[in-house]
Amino acid sequence: MIDGAPSLPLDFAQPWALLLLPLALLPLLRRRREELTFSSLPWLPEDSLGRWIERLGRAAAVLAILATVLALARPGRPEWEVERIGRGAEIVVLFDSSLSMDDEMVARGAHPKRRRDSPLRKRNVAREALSRFVERRKEDRFSLLMFGAAPFRVTPFSQSPEVIQAGIAAAGISNGLPGTDLGRGLIAALSQFEGRAYSGSRVILLVSDGAAEIDDATRQRIRDGMAKHRVALDWLYLRSANWPRLDDEKEPEAVGLITDVAMHRFFKTLPTTYKVFEAESPDAVSKAVAEIERQQNLPLEYRERIPRRDFTHLFYGLAMVAAFALLIHRGLTVRSFQTS
Amino acid sequence: MSQASDFYYRLPMRAGGQRPGSHPGTSHGNGQEFVTHAPLFSHPDPRRLDVRASIRDVRGEWLVRVMRQRVGVPVQLVADVSASMLFGARRSKLAVLADLARAIGASAFRVGDAAGMVAFDTVEREDLYVPASLSRGVGHVMAAQLENPALVEHAEAGERHRGDPVEGLLQALQRLAGRQCLVFLASDFHFPLARLDEALDTLSRAYIVPVILWDPAETEPPPANGLIALRDAETAARRTMWLRPKLREQWRDAVAERRASLQTFFSNRGLRPFWAQGAFDADAMSEYFFEANA
Repeated sequence: MIDGAPSLPLDFAQPWALLLLPLALLPLLRRRREELTFSSLPWLPEDSLGRWIERLGRAAAVLAILATVLALARPGRPEWEVERIGRGAEIVVLFDSSLSMDDEMVARGAHPKRRRDSPLRKRNVAREALSRFVERRKEDRFSLLMFGAAPFRVTPFSQSPEVIQAGIAAAGISNGLPGTDLGRGLIAALSQFEGRAYSGSRVILLVSDGAAEIDDATRQRIRDGMAKHRVALDWLYLRSANWPRLDDEKEPEAVGLITDVAMHRFFKTLPTTYKVFEAESPDAVSKAVAEIERQQNLPLEYRERIPRRDFTHLFYGLAMVAAFALLIHRGLTVRSFQTS
Repeated sequence: MSQASDFYYRLPMRAGGQRPGSHPGTSHGNGQEFVTHAPLFSHPDPRRLDVRASIRDVRGEWLVRVMRQRVGVPVQLVADVSASMLFGARRSKLAVLADLARAIGASAFRVGDAAGMVAFDTVEREDLYVPASLSRGVGHVMAAQLENPALVEHAEAGERHRGDPVEGLLQALQRLAGRQCLVFLASDFHFPLARLDEALDTLSRAYIVPVILWDPAETEPPPANGLIALRDAETAARRTMWLRPKLREQWRDAVAERRASLQTFFSNRGLRPFWAQGAFDADAMSEYFFEANA
């Protein structure tokens, strides 16, 4: 997927060394010293094998000089920019597994109950929606993390539907965990991208029904991590009934004291894209997931600057191999007719 | 081998010439070989009177014995000094040739023959010509000519002006053409034999001993396996060979074939080649003449 590679793939850092290139022709000049004088060749047998070995030796000598001179000129592939098209997002699903996720999603005014196996439980609603989401996104790679008081990884990045579906299913097994440490969760999610080549859009999909306070040091780490790995954050916010909207304009001061809103405001300051999808009913969750899907569907075009690659060591290696071959050739050569 | 080692030689045929020497001659004179009786009047040499034959003679004439005198013949060394003669693993063939020259000089002096040398590479080398001489040191003169370092340089430079060595041989043999002499034709014979016939024809009255000088390094390939890069001394052609048992066999076969073809060539002219490989063996040369006279 490398487009726009420069037509000349080599440049030289020290091109003046190329003036030495004619030296490579030296081995083609035969010298008397290398040969034994024989009185009459016509009576000796012709030997095509010997002729070929001789040519190989000469070629090795030419190659050794050529490669050394080229290495002195320090060849390399020049720095250039490539257009890359990233397909298939890398999505880390950061799944809130706290106790509150076991609540049912109910319409405004009803009393939320905690019933196990209820399809209305936030956890199950979210899982259901995610499962369908994952099913439709064959090109993406998913990693699933859950967090309560501490984050733990359920699956590493994988494109296998079975693995991801099993991970999502696993998210429904346990009861809620105590505590919600969103900061550590986010940092764990970011660390998933550590050491991976950037190949498409990266998203942390935070599925949560509420946030937690994050201290300033952690906020900074999150901000840095987001910028470094170029990760967008989507927050599927499973809003509890009667909670205010995150962008409530009525009483910004008062609402700002709510942790969720405070987090929302922090996320907005992140250097990368941040979107929030609020949902308070199973239908709304489905809609929100569909919205996420639509937004993350576009192939990502970006320019990447490839630094200059130095090939000097390759040429030195080649010269060494050729010189070694030459050494063997020399070692095999009979230098004298005198037997003792 | 700076000490001259001489060898026995006798011409296995009759030679003409007035100079007394040690070879069977055709002329009458002082000698041990009885030819006929002649009347004293036609051969007035009373020392040779044969009393018994005279008494038996029906005409009652005085008869004298007529003897053949042994003659001396010049010994000529025809020396190939082309670049290929510089070859040799321990000693160059030219050094062996110098040994031969010394031995010829010593042997010829012992039996009272004159010795001389003509040399050739692709032309006659007049600078190396040694006229036939009865002098005691003639062998050393010839050897000194052959061992002159300038000769080596000349031969190495001679690569540049190549030619047919037989052409040089023909030129050189003009000096000896038709003469009655003993010719040692010393060469490695690394040239086509086709025109050699023509050259030998000019020596119709001479007794020719072809001395084939080869070096052991020519006849026997180096024992070690490996790559060997060779350059022809005369044509500057090049060849690289990977020495291995199969190639060694081919090498030896080629040498044997060359040996056989030389043998055939000289046999067809009634000559027996003398092989000198790496060194000149004077005893072997004596042996050669014993066999020739047997």
